This record gives sequence, structure tokens and C-alpha cells, in this order.
Amino acid sequence: MALQTPTSHEQEWREDLRKVGFVRRLLAGRHWYGTDWWLVAISAVMVLGFITLALFPSLFAPYSPDEQAGPRFLAPGASPDLPVLVSLATSGITELADLAVPTGEPRPSVGVVRGVPTAQALNDRAQELNQELNGTGMELRPRIARFDSLDELLRAVDDGTVVAAVVQSTEFEQLAGDFPTVGEGMSIAGGVSSEGGFILGTNQIGQDVFSRLIWGTRIALLIGFSASIIALVVGVPLGLLAGFTGGMLDRILSVIMDSLYAFPGLILAISITAVLGPSVLNVIVAIAVLYVPTYYRIVRGQTLSVKEELYIEAARSIGAKSSEILRKYIYPNVIPSVAIIFSVNVADAILTGAGLSFLGLGLPPDTADWGIDLARGQGFIQNAWWLITFPGFAIMLVVLAFTMMGEGLMEIFNPKLRQR
Amino acid sequence: MVENLVEVVGVKKWFPVAQGFIAGLTGAPKEYVRAVDGVTFEIRKGEVFGLAGESGSGKSTVGRLVLRLLDPTDGSVVFDGVDLVSLSHEEMRTLRHRMQVVFQDPLASLNPRMTIGQAIEHPLKIHMPQLSAEDRHARALEMLDQVGLAPPEFFFAKYPHQISGGQRQRVVFARGMITAPDLIVADEPIAMADVSVRALLLDLMMELKDEFDLTYLFITHDLATAKYVCNRIAVMYLGKIVEIGPLEAVYTNAQHPYTRALLDAVPVPDPKHRRTEPLPAGEIPNPINPPPGCNFHPRCPIAQAGICDGIEPILLPVGGDPEHLVSCHLRTGEYQDLDPFK
Amino acid sequence: MEDFLYSVRGLNVRYATRSGDVHAVEDVSLDIRRGEILGLVGESGCGKSTFGKAIMRMIRTPGRIESGELWFDGADLMTYSGRQMQSVRGGEIGMVFQDPMTSLNPVQRVAEHLTETIRTHEPKVSELAAMARAEELVEKLGIRRERLDDYPHQLSGGMRQRVMISLALALRAKLVIADEPTTSLDVIVEAKFLDLLRELRDEFDLTILMITHNIGVVAEVADRVAVMYAGRMAEIGDVYGVFAEPKHPYTVGLLNSVPNIDLDEHDLYKMEGAPPNLLSPPSGCPFHPRCPKAMDICAAEVPVLHEVVPGQATACWLYDGVGVAGG
Repeated sequence: MALQTPTSHEQEWREDLRKVGFVRRLLAGRHWYGTDWWLVAISAVMVLGFITLALFPSLFAPYSPDEQAGPRFLAPGASPDLPVLVSLATSGITELADLAVPTGEPRPSVGVVRGVPTAQALNDRAQELNQELNGTGMELRPRIARFDSLDELLRAVDDGTVVAAVVQSTEFEQLAGDFPTVGEGMSIAGGVSSEGGFILGTNQIGQDVFSRLIWGTRIALLIGFSASIIALVVGVPLGLLAGFTGGMLDRILSVIMDSLYAFPGLILAISITAVLGPSVLNVIVAIAVLYVPTYYRIVRGQTLSVKEELYIEAARSIGAKSSEILRKYIYPNVIPSVAIIFSVNVADAILTGAGLSFLGLGLPPDTADWGIDLARGQGFIQNAWWLITFPGFAIMLVVLAFTMMGEGLMEIFNPKLRQR
Repeated sequence: MVENLVEVVGVKKWFPVAQGFIAGLTGAPKEYVRAVDGVTFEIRKGEVFGLAGESGSGKSTVGRLVLRLLDPTDGSVVFDGVDLVSLSHEEMRTLRHRMQVVFQDPLASLNPRMTIGQAIEHPLKIHMPQLSAEDRHARALEMLDQVGLAPPEFFFAKYPHQISGGQRQRVVFARGMITAPDLIVADEPIAMADVSVRALLLDLMMELKDEFDLTYLFITHDLATAKYVCNRIAVMYLGKIVEIGPLEAVYTNAQHPYTRALLDAVPVPDPKHRRTEPLPAGEIPNPINPPPGCNFHPRCPIAQAGICDGIEPILLPVGGDPEHLVSCHLRTGEYQDLDPFK
Repeated sequence: MEDFLYSVRGLNVRYATRSGDVHAVEDVSLDIRRGEILGLVGESGCGKSTFGKAIMRMIRTPGRIESGELWFDGADLMTYSGRQMQSVRGGEIGMVFQDPMTSLNPVQRVAEHLTETIRTHEPKVSELAAMARAEELVEKLGIRRERLDDYPHQLSGGMRQRVMISLALALRAKLVIADEPTTSLDVIVEAKFLDLLRELRDEFDLTILMITHNIGVVAEVADRVAVMYAGRMAEIGDVYGVFAEPKHPYTVGLLNSVPNIDLDEHDLYKMEGAPPNLLSPPSGCPFHPRCPKAMDICAAEVPVLHEVVPGQATACWLYDGVGVAGG
């Protein structure tokens, strides 16, 4: 009996190839795949980064997205001009809470410069703190005294006319030298140090743009992935069935899918959300409906071509049932192309989602979302360019990352399939 | 009386040519590709029956018809006494374990997503569901061993693209034989293997045949290989059998001009024996419109006008040997005397 | 001194793959004589097709010609610029591929193929003159004039191959490299094609390099035969000599493993093992793991190709010291 044993030499090298670590093979792929390898590698890193941001936004975002932490329209990089409490260094008063007095006792007077919005900030903050003091027998209701200039105000602090003053810290620094007895205390905004900063500025209601960007990743990726997955779950089985059975079922399904596909995407999504109403789930459903035909067509096309392969005929010849052939022979061979399309699809879905929310459709208005930010910021493009630039940039980057990864994978797997 | 495992009688397979819309409306006559045009032969139990021909001869189609992977347009295929065409699809499916096929391209006939072990076990799962998983596994390993893929566990977990072409073809044999079929239809089984590996594969096929008591329908265009393994052989041209008989008789005493030309044209690996005979003129005609009468007559060196171009010849015994049949007017039947070369 | 049309010296071709470099052609030297038909045989992966492409300098990434000299008609093609090579390809060296269906442009008529080729290489030729030349050529090859207006898919396989040859002849190429030209053809068409090659060689003074895995074809038509294994030259010599008395054990095995229709009874030789992996070829002689006559030195050192009898050279340690060195 002629034994065709693989010669030990041959067997060795095949074993060796398996021992080469996955990571090493991955790196070795650099030379083989060339630019595509770099495309996939860079975009994969980006995608992973975005996914991490979406999963753990609080780790990266300094503020919560709704928090009106800072002044309005703060430009990126500018330090916020926080109002601070100043008083005589000897008085021991460093923060607003120190001005609380037992109920019934005379209210302390606090000075502000006329015409500067610090008075409002003082009032708001004092009211907040007062609420907290309710029932403790203490109250914080300072009397506000207005002065015409900072100079006058500081003089008043110096000679005791007012107990303390609330001023812009930058302005105070300029005149601080003239009044050595007056010391700067804490910012009245309560605990948030101005070093926290707003690296990308704030929007029209004082929310940190950067934090909103980070938090927006969550919604964007949620919509993108969910919509794509739903579309996949619906489109793939339909495509398999249509491609395999053909006939009337195929015709009917294809007509439906083609009509859906022919619709300009955004318009279809708009009409669906308009009907369903604003909510995250409805947006996901609307976008999913949009992409079902994509998966359907690709899977159907692949099924049609795989159906003609010799191993399908071989499967029939060993007596396999149609359902088995579909499950074990056609499905596994069709799925790889779907996996690759998925990435590009997610990018598309994110873009559509942003478009929908830009138009004000779909998402509830208090969601932290790039599209919403874009919509809100467009009126201020002259004065506050950062309101639309950064959300727009974020959308572009995410879409680019997913698209690059998908396209790179497609290049790597499709033409090189022969080399497997 | 030797038992016939397969009896093919008058089988035709005509593929309709797609007609244009207008032509369909105006009722233009339909055209057909006459892939198989009236073929009759039997395959005896235990033999290697060769079916030889060039491309377009219909030999592969005959193979598929015997397995009923295609339904014949006309004629009957009888397997072990059962008329295959009369069976329902489900009945046919359950009969399949008795007739298996080995295709030419092993890479294309193995599911790239199934391991070799899974591919070999699959027929067992379908036709012997009563076997436990361990039994199945054991049988698959045993089969791998018998086709020479050792150690079997090593190959069991591999995917088709991870092994060599010769090894893949062995896997295809294993898959075909695991249900202990009666008939194996081998369609160019070694054409895609490397030259140095072919002899091994042929030997393996013969060993397995003895071991499992198989019958082969060996389809090939390579007459040299056919000579090495077949007991009887039929030569096809343009959908019809032109000559059929025991190997010796056909090869040493070929009667049909086409068979002679074919045997002559086979390149011999010996420079001292280069071909000297002239070759038939022209090329294989279009199977949609075969020539009238004998379909070889336009190329035939001994064609006689008035007979060969009008009347279709039939297979008749020649030279006193009831086993050796030829379909040629000038060799059998009433026109024998007209043979100019006699 | 023999007049060689093409002298290849020390050719090395490598392919970059994910797992390293594949040594597709390893230190091959070959001479092609004017007017001969040289058969280059070997199994899949032995490097013969790569060799054919390399001598036309048609190796593209991830492959590369690592080193070697390609002396064609007195000039080293390795020194030629891209433009010079362009005029050599087609003009001096023509190629006939295995599958003519994919090597002919499906949307161009045959006539256009020919006239375009002629006029690209010889721009001074007018459209009319080119057409006349094409017609004349095609007649010689046994194709009817009317077929010039056909598209490639309307022609049969044999005819397409003949069109491929006519493309090579149209430019009066000196050397024609035929890479598996008959593999996709039926036996009778193949026989006719081989006849045609011989006639063309006689009439047009062609030199033909026939690359094939089919030993029978080589025996039928070649003057000399070269056998390649694992990227190296195993044996080369006069066709009668090599077939009658093959020297290299691989050649012996190969010739004996092919069924011969003329012989009544014969046992086919079964070669053990499988062709080696070219990523990490065996040390020394690449055939030694499968060789029934392997010796210790075979695993250690690569044998050198040298003449062992007049007209026949082989690279095998069995013949170390036999014959003339440096053949």
C-alpha cells in the first residue's frame, strides 16, 4: 500500500508556520500587503479608540455633556474669566460660603462693578448655597453694592465698606498691586478650578464642547452599530433565501429591495423618523431599514455565484438536503464578504444618523450628539467657529476610520483570496 | 451472465439555447445544444468502464446523467434494476450513497469552509444517521488512512487549501468511498494532479476498487491514462458513442476513423515514435447544429457521399466480435464493401 | 563556438510572500540555440513559467529578478531600459500563453489585434500595409481570411492559439516563448498545433522555447529538452538522448511515471513524496528527499550542472567526475 505520508520535512515547515505567533504574522503582513496593511492598521487603531471613547466617556470627558460649566462662547484654549471673591486678607473670608450668617443677623454686603455680569453669577451662586443652608439656622443673602469702577470697589474693600467683592480674576490681577491688603479667594463657581479649562471652548449655553464631543461618540456609534446589525440580521437571511431558491420569491423580494435601494438614503430615513417620532430607537430603525437592501443585494449576489461552484454539486451528489446545503455550504462562504461590508456600512450609518439629527429629526433635543451640535452651532459660524468645526471634524474622522478599515480589509481579503 | 450495474438506453440531454425575446414571440424554432444525443451502453459490475472523448463530446454530461445530477431529456438510466428517472427527488437522495462522484478539480469540489474531517463525515451523517459521533469519527479516520493520508488525525483538522493537490484528490476519494458505494463516477480524476503524483493516484484508485468491490465509470480525454486502467472503453464524439468495446480490441484494432485519429494524435513520450499519420481536417462542429447523417463525416478521410452525409449510422458489432461495436457505415452493416481502405 | 540566440547565466528569481522569500528560480543557466525548439519541462511550481517570464523581464512585484545575465542576441537584456524592453517584447521575443481566451482582448477584432501590434512596433507601416501583412500571415497559419473580422470569443481554442502565434510572427520575432500553449486544447487540435509549430520554425527560421508539463508534447516536437525541479535545472540535453537514457533520477522517475499509449503492459513508476516547499527548500540537491539514489553528499551540497555525455548535461552527484566539467 503506497503510503503518501507528508515527508517529515514538509510537515515541519507547516507546523513551524503555525507556531509563528499571530502578532508576528500580522507584522510580517506589512511587506506582503503594502499600503493596504497600513490603511487597515491605522484605521483599526482609530476605530478602537472611538469605541473606547464611546464605552467610557466619563474617563475622558472633563465635564458631563449637559453641565453648563463655563461661560458662554468661550473660544478654544482661552481661559475662562471666572469671577472670584476678593476680600481683606485679614478677614479670613476665602469663599462665598464664608459669608453665611446666622438668620436674623445683619446681611453682609458684597460689591460688584456696575455693568459686568458678575452680579448675576453672584446671585445665582448665592441662591444655590442658600438652598443648601436651609434649616441649619444660617443664611447666605448678601446685599449687593454696585460701584462704578473696579478701583472704587477695591478701595471699598480696603476700607471695610463692603465685606467682600466679586470681580473678574483677570481684571483684579491688573490692579492687585495697588491694593496689597486685598487677597484673592476662591472662584465663586464652586469648586471647579479654572485649570480644568475648556480646551475646545464652550457653546452658547456654556457646555464644554470637548466633553460633548466625547459623549457624542457614544450616541453616534450606538446608532451606527445598532442600525447596521439590525440591517444585517434582516438582510442576510433574505438574501440567502432569495439567491438560493430563486423563482417568485426572489423576484418579489428583489423588487422590494431595489425600490428601497433606489431611494436617496437621507430622504427615506427622514420620512420614517417623521412617522415614528423622535427617539433613539426610531432613528436606529429608520437607518436600519435603509441598509437592509445593501446586505440583501450583496448576499444574494454571492449566493448566486457560490451556488454554481463545484462543491455545491458535490454536496448534492452525496445526498445533502437543500437546507443543509444552504446552512453548511453556502452560508459560511458568503459571510466573509458581509463582515467586510459591515465596517463601511457602520460609517455610512453614522453619517446618516448625524444628518438626521442635524435636521432636528429623530433624537430628543437634549441628547449630546454631533448632529445636534452642528445644527445649533451653524448660526454662530462667524463669532464662534468652534461650535461647528469640532463636531464636523469628529464626524469626518469617525466615518473615515470605519471606511478606511472596511476598504482596506476588502482589498486584503478579496484579490488575495487565491493566496490563502 | 455478467450483471449490469448501470444500463443507459437512448439517453439524450439537450440544453435549450436562450432565445431572444422577439424570436420567442415570432415562434422561431427553438435551438438546442445537443450535449448528449442518444447514448446506449452498460456498465458491468466490478469493471472499470472508460468514457473517452474530446471537449464537447458530452462525456461529462453522461457522467452527470448516470448520477442523475441532471435529468435526461429522453431515454432511461437504470441503476441496479431501478429506473432513476422514475424516482422522486427524496428517493433519489437516499439512493445516492450507492453512487458517488469524483470530480476533476479537488479544490473546487471541496467546501473551503469545511475541514477535511467534516467533509468526509458529512456523507455518513446523511446516510447513516444511526452512527454515533465516535463511530463516525473512527470511520473517517480509517478512511483517511486507507487513502494514504497518514497520520489521519493530522489531516482531519486541515482545510482544503492547506494541503497539496494530490492530497486533496485523495480526500475527494475518501469522501466518495466512505459510504461504500457500488459505483464511482470519476470525471478526469487525475487531470489536475502533478505528473509525478498521477501514477500514485491511479494505483490508489485500483487498490480501493479491489478493497471495496467498486465499479468505475472513468471519464477522461487522456487515452493513454485510459489504457492504463480501463477494462472496456467507449469513445464519444459530439454527443454520440462512435466506438465501444474491450480495451484491447479498441486500442489495437480501432475501427472508427475518429478513434483511429484520436489514438494517433496522443503524444507519445518517446521521440523515436513521432506521429506520421495525417490528422482529420477541420474542427469539432457546433453541437447546436450537428452535421446531418454521421456527425463525423465532414472530417472523415473515408466518408462516402450519399451515404455518410445522409444516413445516421448505428452501433453494430464489427469483425465478428459481439463485444466490439462501431458506429460507421463503412465498417459494419451493408456498406462495408465500400471501404476504400479495405 | 555555438551560435546561441539566448544565453541565460545564473538567473535568480525571488518572490516575496507573507512568510518570506520564495526561491522560484535558483541559479539557472541555459542556452537556446538558433532555430531549435527547446522543451522546458517540469511540474507545477518548478519555476519553468517564472523562467519564461523572467527572460522577457516580465516579472512584477512581489517577484523580482535577484541576479543574472540575459544575453539575447549579443546584448544583456538586464541592462536595457523599460523602453528598450518594450520594443524587445513582441518585436524580438514573442509569447504565446496558455489560455488564449484571457490573453486576447475580448472587445477587439482579430484584425485589430494584428494591425495594432504591427503599427505599435513599426509606426511607419500604414494601416493598409499592416492589414495586408496580417492577412498573409493568417492564411499561412490556416485561418481563413474572413475570420479576421471575428472577435476572440467567436473562435475556437485552436484558432485562438494560432492567432497568438500570428501576433508573434507579425513582428518577425526571433524567439517565441510558448507557455503551456496546448494544455487547454483537445488532443487532435493539439497535434495540429504542434505540426504547425514545426512548419513555422522551418519556414520563418524561428526559435521556440516550449514550456510545458506534458512530456509527450516535448517528445513530439522538441529538439532539446531541459528538465527543471524546484527552481533548478536538473537535466538538459538532446531529446533522443534524454529520453533514451535519462541521467538525473528525477528525469528517470518522470519519464517512467507517464503512461505510454504505445506500450502494451507497463508499470508506472510511483514517485515518493511531493514537490518541495520553495520557501525553505531542502538543503543541497532539492530532489534528495525523494531520490531513490540519494547519498550523503546530496543533502549537504548543491550539485553543479555539467555535461556527462556529449550533448547531455545534468546536475547530480551520481555523475560527479563523469564527463566534461563546465558544459
